[in-house]
Parts: sequence; structure tokens; C-alpha cells
Amino acid sequence: MATKPDSVFRSLDRKAAAIVEFTLRQYRTRTSTWVVLGVGFTALALIFLIYIDVMASEFESVDNDGDSFDSDGDGYPTGQERKLGTDPFSDESHPGMFDPPIEPEPASKYINEDGFDWDVTASFGEQSTGYDDDGDCLNSNRTASQKDTNENGIPCDVSIQRFTSPTGEIVIQIFADEGVDEDPDEDAYTREAIHLGFVLSIGKLGFVLLLGIFLPLFMATGLIRDEMTSGTMHYMLAKPVARSEVFLYRTLGYLGIVWPYVIVLGILGALVSGFVGSGDDFFRFADLGVWLAIVFATMMATLVYGMLFNALGVLWKYGIILAIPFAAWELGMALLSMGAPDATILRFSVIGWALMIIDSVAMMVWPNLDTFILMGEWGGGGQGSDIFGSSSLQGSVPLSFFSSKPGLGLSAFASTIVATLVLLIQAVVFWFIGGALFKGKEIQ
Amino acid sequence: MIPDFDQQGQAQTKEWTPEVQAPAILLENVSKSYGRIFALSNITLALNGGVTGILGMNGAGKSTLFNLLMGKIKASQGSIKLFGTNPWKNPAPYARVGFVPEHEKMYDWMTAHGFVSTFARLNGLTRDEAGIEADRVLEFVGLTDVAYKKIGEFSKGMRQRVKIAHALVNDPELIILDEPLQGCDPLARTTIMNVIRELGKMGRTVLVSSHILQEIERITEQIVILHQGRLLALGNLHSIRERLDQIPHRISIEAENPKALAKDIIDIDEVFGISFPDGRNVSIQTHNLGAIHARLPKIIVENGHKVSSIDNPDDDLASILGYLTSGGRV
Repeated sequence: MATKPDSVFRSLDRKAAAIVEFTLRQYRTRTSTWVVLGVGFTALALIFLIYIDVMASEFESVDNDGDSFDSDGDGYPTGQERKLGTDPFSDESHPGMFDPPIEPEPASKYINEDGFDWDVTASFGEQSTGYDDDGDCLNSNRTASQKDTNENGIPCDVSIQRFTSPTGEIVIQIFADEGVDEDPDEDAYTREAIHLGFVLSIGKLGFVLLLGIFLPLFMATGLIRDEMTSGTMHYMLAKPVARSEVFLYRTLGYLGIVWPYVIVLGILGALVSGFVGSGDDFFRFADLGVWLAIVFATMMATLVYGMLFNALGVLWKYGIILAIPFAAWELGMALLSMGAPDATILRFSVIGWALMIIDSVAMMVWPNLDTFILMGEWGGGGQGSDIFGSSSLQGSVPLSFFSSKPGLGLSAFASTIVATLVLLIQAVVFWFIGGALFKGKEIQ
Repeated sequence: MIPDFDQQGQAQTKEWTPEVQAPAILLENVSKSYGRIFALSNITLALNGGVTGILGMNGAGKSTLFNLLMGKIKASQGSIKLFGTNPWKNPAPYARVGFVPEHEKMYDWMTAHGFVSTFARLNGLTRDEAGIEADRVLEFVGLTDVAYKKIGEFSKGMRQRVKIAHALVNDPELIILDEPLQGCDPLARTTIMNVIRELGKMGRTVLVSSHILQEIERITEQIVILHQGRLLALGNLHSIRERLDQIPHRISIEAENPKALAKDIIDIDEVFGISFPDGRNVSIQTHNLGAIHARLPKIIVENGHKVSSIDNPDDDLASILGYLTSGGRV
């Protein structure tokens, strides 16, 4: 028998390690474990495949300002006529009449000819940015008032104005001088938007919501309950181990399966999106920060839900039925957090805090995400064109849906810390509740 | 007290403080009720040392008693102390307790050694210590050969022995076995009985429950009889049995020629009645079971009767209970 003095670590090592190890080995022998993990993997792998397929396809370039068309049928695209100062709507006026005459340029030159040159540094108030790449605004034939249609005193710029409306909402308005940044590159933008949107959406819905709720639902609810039902709990309770300790160590054993699984899937996702994602770099290293946040948020979610669902299993034989309303509530909160991240009711959820970690870190890793979404939604403003109703670029709407600001009104870093602390407190509270329920439970 | 002659007459320097050793099990007026039904009512019992059999029919309260002792359920009234501590509130006494549950379900995917050593670690042993202890107890119950086989491949008797081994791994002072012989083959039965007797000889407090009198009789003389949640009798089985022997008993003998056998048996003084329930059996009525059993074998052998079985249909728990509950009248 042991004669050495017991430090806390030594006694933990004995009882805790024994139960954790036992729980891990027990999971390994169960078919249900492999089915749940396999289904989760397959579901995420399918989404990864769809993403790879999307990233491999071309996005059609659109002539946002309509200046590649030859409206007057004189052979010269509108953009060229505008640039050279002839009337684009009259076949009596075109650069062929110049001396010496100028040859018509191909229409393709007037698609994606004026992309975004935004450098948004201010988060509030008015800021001037943008640059007229194709020269149709800076054209020397134009008057000063033609160059400053947004009337902010700066020729050929884009004015971004953010202000608080009387109802307290932050309103953003974009006024561009005619001909500035009006024909962005759809393929580049959409590719980037889809990439960012994919990372955020799979992180929030695929990892935190799907894995974060379903793994605990199927794997943690029976941690104590199954043993109670089968009668094997007698072996564990006949030892000098407190029931709340058994509860904790069983949950740790469950995390011993679930956390490595989440980490492996996270690494897989980071590799896929890092290599396949848009951009000129071989690998998108910057995204790793967001993936880290996704994995971390999912781990925290599986911890809190694990404790909660384990406690529900102790509470009632059919604890999984009690867990379902929670899961539904959390699904609703997940969707709400994307639309209204500062809603107070989110504070009464687990997922609201977990998603806040992703949003906060995304804000730190992708500081220009806001601007990027803004420019995509503006999409050139549909200038000079009466053909296109909506000017938003493809990919900007889903991206803006999946990305939200951490709603605490704190800095991104502080929000991450607060959210993590809240999740840890939730886990401890559920542990206490579960332990107390278990302690008061009569086991036949 | 017997004087110690080896003592050298050294004066005691320290003041002697009496060591109050709490008994292994102490129950005071313990009741357990479910709604208006009492599973146990008003049990007072103290046990320390030796093997004690808990006898009772199904539903008599044996399992309830054990569940209370193992802190799985809470007593409605009264106090339960294991080594002076209430097990419902504090699991610490289980460091000195080994429990063999009645439940058949085990972790079939584990090896016997894995099972025993894993649960040994819950007693605070390190992995290495647990491994060594597991080897020791598996040898004690005679399972060394199959220690690394999966429990799922084991027979009922082997599984029971694994459970016993797991309960002994912390070298407990109190061992509680809930129906350890149920469903075992005769060989396993004998092994388990030997193990229990051995533990008793080692000075441990052992509690064995059963609903079969003969099983308990082979293990111990000290018994507790539970009936409908009440403590019906407590003490030496033999004294109860002697009184029981004075009441009418039947002995049923299955023989090739029952009539001839009956003719020889009728000469025994203690026999006061003989009947033939069917063509192959002869049933004897007596007031003195012991005397008949002493003379019966000789009569059978001397007269060359072919007998295939001798049975005492009344010598079971039910008739003891009947006797005890009727206040000694049958």
C-alpha cells in the first residue's frame, strides 16, 4: 500500500487519471462513439469539399458601370469615349474623328478597370478614400464640379460617413465621386469574400453549433446516466471518491475524446482553407488565428455543454430529452448572434459567448474585415449604369451575415477574455449543479 | 487481562488515551421507506469482525441494507456509520471497504487485470501499485491464468471471482458481498466460499447475503435474518437450527423400491409417520432431523437399498422464516 505522502497532484493523478483513462477506453469500445464522430467528420468533410469546389471555379466578371458597351454603335466602348471626352451616346462623336484618329479599344479593357483603393482608418465620422484608377474621373476635360459630385471638396474620392442616427443606430453612408472605384474585380472580391465567409460560417455553424452541441448531446448525456442504468455505477461509487469528483472526471474523460477530435478537424479545416483559399500567398497564415479561435470556442462549448448535458442525464433517465430544448435555444441564439450580436438575451446562452470569441479574434486577425464588407455591399455604387439594380458584389451579403461585432462594446481582446471567463464560470456552475444532483441521487 | 510476562516493568511515561475503535458497521434504528412502504424498518445492528450471513427472501431488505451501507441511498430514519462515519455524506470510509455488487453487468471489454487495477487506483493507488495489487488479488481468487482475458469471455463464476478480487484490492477491513454465489457452478461456489472463509480467518469483517440457507451454513454460523424489512433474528445459526430440529420435518427419499425402504425405516424411533406421495418416493415425518440423518445412511447401506436422492424439503429458509414468524409454532 501507498506509504508516500500524498500531494494534491499525486492523489489527483491516481483517482482522476484512473477515471479519465477508464472513460476514454470505454468510449473507444462503443460503436456509438465512432458513429457520432464519423458523422461529424463526414458532414464537415462534405462542406470542405463544396468549399474547395467553389474556390476552384471562376466568378464571372461583371461590368459594374456598363462602360464596356458601345451604346451609340460607333465601335468605341463607352469607357474609351468618356475618357477621351467624346459623346458616348452619339455615333457622330467618337475618337475615330480625332486627328490622328484613335483606334477603338477592346471592350474587355473596360471591365474591372477601376477597383477598390480603400484605406479606411477611421471608425467614426467622415473619411475620404479611394482612387480613380482608370482616369474617367480625373480626366482633365472635366470641370471641378464634375470631379466632385459628392461635394466634399476633394476631387475624385469616395467619402465614407459614419454617424449615429437619432434612434441610436450607427448609419454608414458612402458617397463616391462619379467614376471612382466604380468597376471592381468581382472574381477577386467574391473569392475573398467567400473564403472569409466560409471560415466564419463553418467556424460558427459547423464547429461551435454542430460539433459543440451534438457531440455533448450524444456523448455526455450518458456519462453518469448510462452507468446508473446498467448498474455498473456501483463499482465506482464503492470507492472513496466523492460523487462530484466522479462527475468531473467522467466529463474530463469525455473531453479527452472530444477535444482532440475538434483539434484535428480544426487543423484539417485550417489546412484546407489555408491552401485553397484566395490570395497570392502559398498559404494563408493569417487565417490560422481565426482557426485557433474556432477550435478554442468549440472546445469551450463542448466543455460547458458537456457539463450541462451530463447534469441533465443525472437529473432524469431521459436527460437527452431535456437537452433538446437547450439545443434548440442555443440554435436560436446562434442565429440571433449573427443578426444582433449585442442583444442582451445572448448573455443567457452558451453559444453567444462562444461565438463572441470567434468574432473578437476575427476582428483582431482581419482588421479590414469591416471595410471589406462595406466595399462589397457598396460594390461600386452602380454608377453610370441603369442596367444593374443591386450593386452589391457577390459574397458580400453572406459574409456580412456571418461576421458580427462582439456585442459587449469592449475591445476585441477584452471581449475574448470576458467571453472565455464567462464560459469557464458556466462550466463550473454546471459542474456544481451536476455534482449536487448526483450527490442527492439515490441509486438502486 | 492476561499479564504480559515479557514486559520489563517500564513505567508508562505518556498519559494513556483510550483508542475508541468504531465498529465496522453500526446501524441505529435505521429505516428506509419508499412512500408508505418500508423496505427496512428500525434496524439496529453492530458488526465487527468475522463472517456474517445476511439471510432473507427476495425483497426482505438485503439489498436495501447494502445500498444504505454503500451510501447509494439515504436512510429515511436512524443513523448509519461505517467506521464511525456516515457513508451517505462522506465516501472516505470506503477506503477500508470492499463491495461486491449483486448486479451482473460488468465492463465486458476490460480484462480481469485491467478491471481490478483500474478500480484499485480509485482507492488512491498509483498505476504501478495497482498493477501489483491486482496480480495479488487475482491470484487469491484463483484467476491468475486468465488475468489478461476479457471479462466478456468469462463464465458466471469467474465473473463473480473478478468482482471479489476487485473488492479485495485495497486490502479492506470490511467486505460486503451481495449474493456472491448466485448462478455459480459448484466449483466456483466452493472457491468463493473458501475465499470468504479465508477472509474471515484473516480477521476481516465480512458480510454475505443470500436467500439460500445451505450456502450460508457452509460459510458461517453467525447470521442475521431479515424478513419483510425487519430484523427477525440475529445470532448463531446452530442455536436457531437446534430449535428448528424439534419441529416436525419431512425427509423425502427417492428410491428404487420405496416400500421396502419404508419397512426398514419404520423401526427408527424418531419416525412418526411415513407416506408415499408417488411410486418412487417415500416421505418420512420426524421431530428429530439430526437423529434420522445419523442413522439413515447405515440403514440404506446395510439393507442394500438403491437410493437416488435424499431431500429435506422443509430445511430451507422458508421454513425457518415460517417458524420464526409464527413465534415458534408450526
